[in-house]
Amino acid sequence: MSELGIPPAGNAAGRRLRGTWRGLRRFVRTQPLGAIALLLITTFVFAALFAPVLAPYDPIEQNREHLQGAPDGRFWMGTDDLGRDILSRVLYGARTSLLVSVATVAAGGALGTVIGIVSGYFGGSWIDTALQRVMDTIMAIPGLVLLLFVAALLGPSVLNTIIALSLLVVPSFNRVARGEMLRVREELYIEAARANGCGLWRILGRHGLPNLLAPMLVVLSLVFAIVMIAESALSFLGIGTPPPIPSWGRMLSEGSRYLEIAPWMVVFPGGVLTIAVLAFNLLGDALRDFFDPKQLR
Amino acid sequence: MSSVAAPARAAGRQPAEDDLLCVRDLVKHFPVTRGLLGRTVANVRAVDGVSFRIGRGETLGLVGESGSGKSTVARLVLRLLRETRGEIVFAGHELTGMRAGELKRLRRRMQIVFQDPFSAFDPRMSIADVIGEPLRAHRLADGRSARRRAGELLELVGLTGTDLDKYPHQFSGGQAQRIGIARALATSPELLVCDEAVSALDVSVQAQVLNLLRRLQRELGLSYLFIAHDLNVVRYISDRVGVMYLGQIVEEGPADELLADPRHPYTRSLAAAIAGAGPPGSRRRVLARGEAPSPSDPPAGCRFHTRCPAAFGRCREEAPALRAVGPDRTASCHLLERPGQEART
Amino acid sequence: MTEYVVRRLLYGVLIVGLVTVFVFLVLRLIPGDVVRLQLANAPGVGEAQIDELTAALGLDQPLHAQLVTFLGDALHGDFGTSFQSQEPVTSLVAERLPITLQLGAMAILIGILAGVPLGLLSAVRHNSWLDQGMRLVSVAGISIPNFWLGLLLVTYLALYFGWSPPLVYQGPGQDLESNLLHMILPALALGASTMASIARMLRSSLLEVLHSNFIRAVRAKGAPETLVIFKHGVRNSVVPVFTLLGLQIGNILGGTVILESIFGIPGMGMLIFEAVQMRDYPVVLGCVVVYGAVFVLINLVVDLLYGVIDPRIRYARR
Repeated sequence: MSELGIPPAGNAAGRRLRGTWRGLRRFVRTQPLGAIALLLITTFVFAALFAPVLAPYDPIEQNREHLQGAPDGRFWMGTDDLGRDILSRVLYGARTSLLVSVATVAAGGALGTVIGIVSGYFGGSWIDTALQRVMDTIMAIPGLVLLLFVAALLGPSVLNTIIALSLLVVPSFNRVARGEMLRVREELYIEAARANGCGLWRILGRHGLPNLLAPMLVVLSLVFAIVMIAESALSFLGIGTPPPIPSWGRMLSEGSRYLEIAPWMVVFPGGVLTIAVLAFNLLGDALRDFFDPKQLR
Repeated sequence: MSSVAAPARAAGRQPAEDDLLCVRDLVKHFPVTRGLLGRTVANVRAVDGVSFRIGRGETLGLVGESGSGKSTVARLVLRLLRETRGEIVFAGHELTGMRAGELKRLRRRMQIVFQDPFSAFDPRMSIADVIGEPLRAHRLADGRSARRRAGELLELVGLTGTDLDKYPHQFSGGQAQRIGIARALATSPELLVCDEAVSALDVSVQAQVLNLLRRLQRELGLSYLFIAHDLNVVRYISDRVGVMYLGQIVEEGPADELLADPRHPYTRSLAAAIAGAGPPGSRRRVLARGEAPSPSDPPAGCRFHTRCPAAFGRCREEAPALRAVGPDRTASCHLLERPGQEART
Repeated sequence: MTEYVVRRLLYGVLIVGLVTVFVFLVLRLIPGDVVRLQLANAPGVGEAQIDELTAALGLDQPLHAQLVTFLGDALHGDFGTSFQSQEPVTSLVAERLPITLQLGAMAILIGILAGVPLGLLSAVRHNSWLDQGMRLVSVAGISIPNFWLGLLLVTYLALYFGWSPPLVYQGPGQDLESNLLHMILPALALGASTMASIARMLRSSLLEVLHSNFIRAVRAKGAPETLVIFKHGVRNSVVPVFTLLGLQIGNILGGTVILESIFGIPGMGMLIFEAVQMRDYPVVLGCVVVYGAVFVLINLVVDLLYGVIDPRIRYARR
């Protein structure tokens, strides 16, 4: 048998990369709202990463001469009750929000996806039943009640916030991953993989996960939106990110005491939070339409 | 009477110890559950007492209508399903009750080709990955060596190494099935189970793939368990043929003999349906009178009696046993017991 | 049907039981000695008193024995006594739960009353400016954090209309008008996302039905368009909306925690928030279990209502 006809490996990876790029261009072309959302998210990430460069003032520095100053040319979003620049605090707050959301989605998403895939692959067996009972239990507790319970008992810290939020999002990932895996496991190529001698983790990792990435991407985006709101809610209640780390939720709770004197203390952080959440929701919707063109919206 | 001289291909039937695969009294029931506690209210008797042997380099064809349990037999043999009871001995190893690690070593030596190659490939994998997967799973090769071996296998089945970086959807049905065969051959198996491997293909392509399978058998000394509903296809490739009906083998024997002189009424109806038919590979469905009963509620007595043109009182009460009806031939029918018929055995 | 109801009921009981066990275990596994926490404020406490209280609370028993005792008491409606107020948890909850349920019910009502017409209009005037505007409003509606919306409502109503909600909460029995004025803003803030979700879901499911062959056949018969939309369209597109409603209950119940604390409404949300801060474990435990039970119960009702709305659902095995 000649080896001449066999091209060298390596261009398969390149092909895949080009495929991703082409997919992105098609997404931007067919989903204008999704493209805008992507742009907003990119801006959000950029602002979070480069907050130290972009922020005009130190977010913690207090300025006695500008207590609760209205927005003007110097302080674009005004100052708070301690004279701190709100714009700078919003930029640094984006860092906290991004850090917590990414860590939560990574941890909770990984755990939920693994549980969902395993559960779906063994759908109907006792493993599936046991795992789903646990998930149902977590889901039976209203989100914020669960967060309050776990975060408050663990104590306020960034890490504990992430732990509590991860617990909250695990069932969302589990549900979608399990549903998709129940579908995928009926595929003949899964049986073929077993016949080929693939072990459980090889089957789940090489054939299961890659074939449910599209729906997982949609959940990922929507969960991001949920986590950002939940993180702010916890900080608002004073049991999330501890001071002095700037966080949008804490800014809102500080501002809520001066609603009629200094509404900008509440309007700007909340507005930025809403826009970021909106962007993730729009992206999730657009991804869903993109992957499922049949669906009427 | 054609039962006198066995055809050349079937003549070299080896003694039992040399059989590559030996299946005894294989049974698979799928429970039907209902109610709060999941009580089992019925069993779908997909496979209900099947026995057969396949010698080295031999092909056994299993033919039957859909729902007769032939694909379940394939999955049981390959341990993709767990049997309810019975024995499966492969190359001297008892497969039933075997532990996972040991089974994995034996899996290398038996592989399967599915009916629909497209759904049997992960759509996200390139051909190189598809064919290389069994090699990587069994740690027989990795990276470059897996790729080289995949290229060799592609050429073995009549494709070229340049196809390695394509994806399954870029191939025609015939080409895809060749890739399926290449993947099955990757670990150098001794037994290949072909589960309706050519049934989804066009007639002309069917013949090409059948010829490829025969060439590979010659060159590599493979044994085949060849499953199909098309008697013409089975006749073309098989040394021996087993006819399945509702989870049981009702007749078994050398291919040419069995078709030239079918003994069981069911086999007769199958053979009649293709009598005078065209060349091997022409697609024609096997038909008997009426619809096959459900395997969850098979008829009492002989399972075929509801559709049998020659059924009589006894058929409704007593299930006939498989009996020898000629050299190397068995069938299960009460008619074959009558003096006139017995004289032939 | 009966078997289905029984099965769903048993499952609900199982889940509430699992919630109880989960919360109980988490509370016990959290570091920190409950007894010392409770006695921290009392001056001059000796080791003897600590041991005495430990025994009185049953905390010297092994964990599984504590769990069995607790579950047994809980079945009799006894969730222990608040560390803080020394009142039985059950009576605390019984006092606060109706307030939260009222708030939640008002929020859902607002969500349905606003969401259904919006979704209908949007689907009927598919792709019109109205539709586009509605889609924008509804995505915004699910994105706005409810507590921020609540704050904005208070701020701008006060700034532009000089109106503020009453300062002190009054029960509906004491002063119904004051009660409703107090509840309306938090209910609006809570209901906004429900409204948006309902409008979105109704729009897409109604569009799907209106584009189906079955509706095409009805139209072909010459049925008037209003009949097509209301009789055939809406009836067939309401099931997914119901499913959504069941899920929204969780959001609304969770949301009450934060909105009650903003607006000073003494409901379950306030109770659990304060209990969590004070580490009043029996109250926390009781609240979480009751929240879970309410959520499970409402979802059970929603599930059973499916059959009333859509006779096609045969209560098949899950």
